[in-house]
Amino acid sequence: MELAPPDPAILARRTEIVAGLKALVPDGVVSDRSGLAAFDGDALTARRQAALVCVLPRTKEQVAAVLKFASDNAVPIVPRGAGTSLSGGALPRADGILLGLSRMNRILEIDFENRCVVAEPGVTNLAITRAVEGRGFYYAPDPSSQIACTIGGNVAENSGGLHCLKYGLTTNNLLGVEFVTIDGNFVRLGGKGGSAGGFDLLGIVAGSEGLLGIVTEATVRILPKPPVTRTLLAAFQSVPDAGQCVADIIAGGIVPAAMEFMDRRCIEAVEAYSAPGYPRGAEGVLLIDADGIQAEVDDAIARMAAIARNCGAEVREATDEAERTRLWAGRKAAFPAMGRLAPDMLCMDGTIPRRMLPFVLARMAEMSEQYQLGFCNVFHAGDGNLHPLIIFDVMKPGELERAEGFGADILKLCVEVGGVLTGEHGVGVEKRDLMPIMFSDSDLAQQQRLKCAFDGAGLLNPGKVFPTLSACVEQGHMHVKSGRMPFANLPRF
Amino acid sequence: MADISVRSEAEVVDAVCEARERRRTLEIVGAGTKRAFGRPTHCDDILDVSGLRGIVTYEPEELLLTVLPGTPVTEINELLAANGQRLGFDPGDWGPLLGARANSGTIGGAISADVCGSAAVRYGRARDQLLGYRAVNGFGEAYKAGGKVVKNVTGFDLPKLMCGAMGTLGVLTEVTLRVFPKPSLSRVFSARAEPREGLALLRKIWSSPLEATGLGYADGTALIRLEGEELPLSEKAALLRTIGGELVEIADGDRRFHEIADGTGFSSMSCDVWLLTLPPANAADVVRDLSPPLWCADQAGGTLWIGTDQPMHEIAARFGGRARLLRASEARRANVSVFPPEEPARAALTRAVKAAFDPLGVFNPGRMAEGL
Repeated sequence: MELAPPDPAILARRTEIVAGLKALVPDGVVSDRSGLAAFDGDALTARRQAALVCVLPRTKEQVAAVLKFASDNAVPIVPRGAGTSLSGGALPRADGILLGLSRMNRILEIDFENRCVVAEPGVTNLAITRAVEGRGFYYAPDPSSQIACTIGGNVAENSGGLHCLKYGLTTNNLLGVEFVTIDGNFVRLGGKGGSAGGFDLLGIVAGSEGLLGIVTEATVRILPKPPVTRTLLAAFQSVPDAGQCVADIIAGGIVPAAMEFMDRRCIEAVEAYSAPGYPRGAEGVLLIDADGIQAEVDDAIARMAAIARNCGAEVREATDEAERTRLWAGRKAAFPAMGRLAPDMLCMDGTIPRRMLPFVLARMAEMSEQYQLGFCNVFHAGDGNLHPLIIFDVMKPGELERAEGFGADILKLCVEVGGVLTGEHGVGVEKRDLMPIMFSDSDLAQQQRLKCAFDGAGLLNPGKVFPTLSACVEQGHMHVKSGRMPFANLPRF
Repeated sequence: MADISVRSEAEVVDAVCEARERRRTLEIVGAGTKRAFGRPTHCDDILDVSGLRGIVTYEPEELLLTVLPGTPVTEINELLAANGQRLGFDPGDWGPLLGARANSGTIGGAISADVCGSAAVRYGRARDQLLGYRAVNGFGEAYKAGGKVVKNVTGFDLPKLMCGAMGTLGVLTEVTLRVFPKPSLSRVFSARAEPREGLALLRKIWSSPLEATGLGYADGTALIRLEGEELPLSEKAALLRTIGGELVEIADGDRRFHEIADGTGFSSMSCDVWLLTLPPANAADVVRDLSPPLWCADQAGGTLWIGTDQPMHEIAARFGGRARLLRASEARRANVSVFPPEEPARAALTRAVKAAFDPLGVFNPGRMAEGL
């Protein structure tokens, strides 16, 4: 994957652009080399690039002014929350303004009566739960970076987490946004009452990876905390058995709160790292949560344990909260545990139909041989979202390219078996060039026309998501002056 | 006016290309049960998509259903029920209310008109469950969007946009929905209460871990539906009593919820019918301000059905919500905004989005607003 060279005309105007931004956000412009180094990438660590300049607004009016400035001066804008994107969504451009929203971090309103929180984009995911847990509520989407990642970034990436199968992704828990267009106009989409009536623009803003506009306020749904959670650990001697167990649980009408699969390599790495007490020697384990009211959880746990045993698993339950926490801490430490085995890691994110799991795991083992790179698998089993972790050393010549090749082959495989390139991490720069594997020219053309409808000049996060962004005129976007479509002089709508 | 029946995506492509060439507009019609919803559209031809009918794949253990959009909702409901599953958005049947046949509406129509029912309080609307689709756009191109897995963030989430777009963005030719397990037992409880108290009770339950699959209010009665297997359901019922006090269990509860979602009570009335989506805690204030002759609530007050001849956009906006004119005479729908009016910045986006999918305005022109 190669990034386009920066526009020399913009680089030549750098001094003037920096001065222009300082006039808009006097205390929030970073333009020195060491300052910009702090913002030179995100959690796709293999890619680094310093921005032309970074601006850190405190108010939505400043955000709008920065966008208008970018628009008037034809400078690309790259939005950034906490910089935890795993797909390079916040990777800066040498010829672009990096718009950091982390200083807009106030919770504006907590409305328990309507079960929602209104927050600025820089509020962290976990801060929302912290703000409402005293009254027995929480915010359900819980990406593993939740302590750091921001709600604005969550909206841009449509972030998931461990509990998506039961509680949905960000988009299913998002009621409304205030959003600034590239022209600097504010638009409210949805609100405490949701987004019904008119085109569901809220629905396309969620997950748009910063390509359509900048969210300056998000209204999210909060949920009553389930009174009881119980956790099962099921160890399998074969991966197909684990896959069968997952299918049988779902077919049995149970929607577990979380259901995570880890393969043998992952179990070994995690045991060596933090010894949470996973059974060594198993080919795979499933870590399963049921939550809800007592009798419902008891019923689900009993049925799931029986199903797992029926599939040949050795099953045990966390006996107390301490053990429960330890078992989950092991899962959450899978990335750092693998990280100890090599300096660099690439985390893939394809989703597959669950029934294809054994086939896909076997094929990935073959690819690992072929590319001569180690990997392990963690997997949101309930929703079929795979996270193969490829380990490599960027300092060894050729390893980054091999790792990216291995990753691309895994994602191609996911698409081949009926799945998708990314379940929750986003396309970003990482999977940009793979989009044609999943989408035909006409599929991509339709998405790009939508991009043009919001950002005709292509200034918002260019170089992300789409392999080649055709000029908007080519997409037919300008054909609006037809006799059939009286766009001019439209009355209100 | 020609009536063009299509039986495949290729035939849809042909029909759209021909319409483009001849500069003719198409009204997309499935079972035709919702033709009286939306601004009147005076199209040159009818594109009858009811022949795009049938189950493509149903994989209960993947919680996935792929169907052709002309498939009747009742057929889907029967198939899912036979496998212990359900459509989460639980679409009501607007046919009789809109002067059309009962039990004949299609899944494509339910998605396009953003119809939902009582269980949506737990599972969400069509937008939360349409995972992927195939369609033909106004360029005459067949394309796909979204995916056929429950978790996917690859590219723009175009399926959201198709929900509630009233067929103005394209002709759906295949839809993939996430479905949900349906517990084997269901019990409905009711309490006579003044609107404010009744709605407050519903919200209290909505904020509890009971995961109710119906929280409605009609005819001075709050209705609560709980579901589960035998033991868990008894515990839920006991918990409900600690929250809501003495409640009466009723035998015909599912019918009562259907009547709310179908707008049955409004069928015999001559006034306009509005559908408001609101922050639930504001529903009681809206009802107090209006004192409408007939109204009912669903989704703990998040949805309000109101029989009134007054336009509702302003009051809905004042209370943080949005209104749709669901039933009115053709003349009225031509003169009163059916969908919420939009301020200039949003209206510009709406027009640009329409142009991105259908620049010549082939599909259902004017159905959502003049010029759209």
